[in-house]
Amino acid sequence: MSSGRLCSEWEEINPDEYRGIWVYMQVDDGVINEASLQLLGQARKIADELETYAGAIFVGYKLKNLAKEPIYYGADKVFMVDDKRLEKYAPNLYGDVIYKLALKYKPESILIGGTMRGRELAPYIANNLRTGITADLTMIEVNKETRDIILIRPPFGAWMLAHIKTRDRKPVMGSVRPNVFPTPKRDETRKGEIIEEHIDELIDPNMELLEYIPIKKKEEIPIEKADIIVSGGKGLGTKDGFTILQELADLLGGVIAGSRKAVDAGWIPHEKQVGQTGKTVKPRVYIAVGISGAAQHVFGIREAKRVVAINIDPEAPIFENADYGIVGDYKEIVPALIEEIKKLKRSKKKS
Amino acid sequence: MGLDIIVGIKWVPNTTSVNIDPKTGTLIREGIPSVVNPHDLTAVEMALRLKDKYGGTVTAISMAPPSAISGLEHVIGMGVDRGILASDRAFAGADTLATSYVLAKVIEKIEKYDLVIMGHETIDSSTAHIGAQVASWLKLPYIYYATDIEYEENKESIKVKRILENAYEIYRIKLPAVVSIAMHTFEPRRIKVSNKLKAKLENVIEIWTSKDLNLDINCAGLRGSPTVVSAIDFVPKVPRKNLIFQEKDPKKAAKWLIEKLLEEGLIDP
Ligand SMILES: Cc1cc2nc3c(=O)[nH]c(=O)nc-3n(C[C@H](O)[C@H](O)[C@H](O)COP(=O)(O)OP(=O)(O)OC[C@H]3O[C@@H](n4cnc5c(N)ncnc54)[C@H](O)[C@@H]3O)c2cc1C
Ligand SMILES: Nc1ncnc2c1ncn2[C@@H]1O[C@H](COP(=O)(O)O)[C@@H](O)[C@H]1O
Repeated sequence: MSSGRLCSEWEEINPDEYRGIWVYMQVDDGVINEASLQLLGQARKIADELETYAGAIFVGYKLKNLAKEPIYYGADKVFMVDDKRLEKYAPNLYGDVIYKLALKYKPESILIGGTMRGRELAPYIANNLRTGITADLTMIEVNKETRDIILIRPPFGAWMLAHIKTRDRKPVMGSVRPNVFPTPKRDETRKGEIIEEHIDELIDPNMELLEYIPIKKKEEIPIEKADIIVSGGKGLGTKDGFTILQELADLLGGVIAGSRKAVDAGWIPHEKQVGQTGKTVKPRVYIAVGISGAAQHVFGIREAKRVVAINIDPEAPIFENADYGIVGDYKEIVPALIEEIKKLKRSKKKS
Repeated sequence: MGLDIIVGIKWVPNTTSVNIDPKTGTLIREGIPSVVNPHDLTAVEMALRLKDKYGGTVTAISMAPPSAISGLEHVIGMGVDRGILASDRAFAGADTLATSYVLAKVIEKIEKYDLVIMGHETIDSSTAHIGAQVASWLKLPYIYYATDIEYEENKESIKVKRILENAYEIYRIKLPAVVSIAMHTFEPRRIKVSNKLKAKLENVIEIWTSKDLNLDINCAGLRGSPTVVSAIDFVPKVPRKNLIFQEKDPKKAAKWLIEKLLEEGLIDP
């Protein structure tokens, strides 16, 4: 619905001047974030459909050794702003650089990996450009005729996907949920162009990073990369319930995760939440223990090869979304499972 | 003296089964009780702690239909001094760009403020956009996922600790600034009836319409929203085997499950 009169804050644009699908390359400790690489595959696909180029943008300092990487993963052009003044991250500073690049080169779309930093950065850039932005999208559709780039995200309810269209404004912007798209194959024979940009005037961010303190976690596989996940919900009743789930996970070489209610109860950290507002996981086996199977939870396990449900309530919706189900109290079932696996391990050792 | 703080709160449907009208693509709100977005209560708690420690004021703002007054009353019950509801038909149908525009105009009108605090995200839309967008409209520094804020009065700045996936960061940020608080950082305090009563007597809640704000109506509501929901479809259900073990014997059940998983080569103990 175009109303004719546009917002006075929106500078007039000619949408036909906007070409190219950009991906922001998030670099942490000198390494390109996986979520950014995953998006290069999508950018390549969209660019081919719309017969334009796929671009990657770098912002920071001492990044030159990474310049070719995006090309190996599918980009045609790499825009690099490598500047001592950008040594320290500040969202408004980096956001402003990307904004200025976008003003100059007029990309049709900018996609940003939905990491925590990405979710922080993306809306600032979009707002500076006075364009729309879609958060945490999980699918992208392109209409070749109209050149619409439709960004799709799960809204309320999780069984419904909202197709979000950006009218009147360019670029079309979105933050993209990590791990829903595969990382493309790295191919060193691919060719592309590297464009070094210098921006004379940077904004004063009025903020400064003083300290960066890596969290030393025990060497743990993040849930989005685990092959086996034992996940607990409100039905565990207490935080202690996770101790026994951890034991089962350890025996299977897997990790623990949880539902939102388990996270809200403080039983497990938010980074281990599975679902629409948590993570999308792709294990071989997902064992849901004391989880009712709300749509928002099940959304996060769509890519699981097999789902196992352990729940005391035979009517729990999780059973409809499970391959194998056991009705019963987890306090009896899980120890029995542990015993069974231990037995197996013992017999294996003997033979 | 002290910090004058503005907190953004949203009045959201409190349910896990909110539905969307498949024809209009809008939220069906009828019959669904609302609450203050839980992550905003965390933000309010942070604001009140800063006020307790350094003095100052806390003003809650919200853009919403008039029913959201109850949300402002709730946080006033917690100890917030003043509530402002930006409410106007022209604000309806806003996406995050248009919402943040109106909120930025409200903040501009408040004029005297040091810090804007937002929740991590809202439970009904989960965009986590508004903080950054408000910062962009107001050209302020901003940071997300804060777990701790310390006021450095002599420097007119704050020191903010924030959490990322695998690191903490500490920033010094000049005031005024926008900070959003990491979810679950604090347990929000309880409501005091005396606070609520005081609020009623002193009329601390104001409603501001587009006339009260210095804004371009074409930048608000549906008209100021570049994004529209163009279609809704249903996520296809993933086909599953739906095999349920029928006996009530944990040992047998365990054996059954492990056998199935071994058969399929899914586990390798
Ligand atoms: C916008 C939005 C986003 C959301 N995002 C997410 C998300 O990302 N992830 C998520 O998980 N949720 C999300 N939710 C919440 C979701 O709707 C559910 O509320 C939540 O998943 C329920 O968690 P649960 O299954 O642990 O708890 P409950 O629904 O309370 O279920 C507990 C289950 O445990 C069973 N149980 C009880 N005792 C035992 C026992 N002794 N042994 C075995 N079983 C037992 C019960 O039968 C019940 O089925 C979201 C909601 C909204 C509105
Ligand atoms: N309509 C609103 N009125 C006031 N504050 C809001 C509104 N919508 C969002 N916010 C604030 O912005 C934060 C992020 O919201 P969202 O971008 O919707 O996830 C929320 O936690 C609130 O603090």
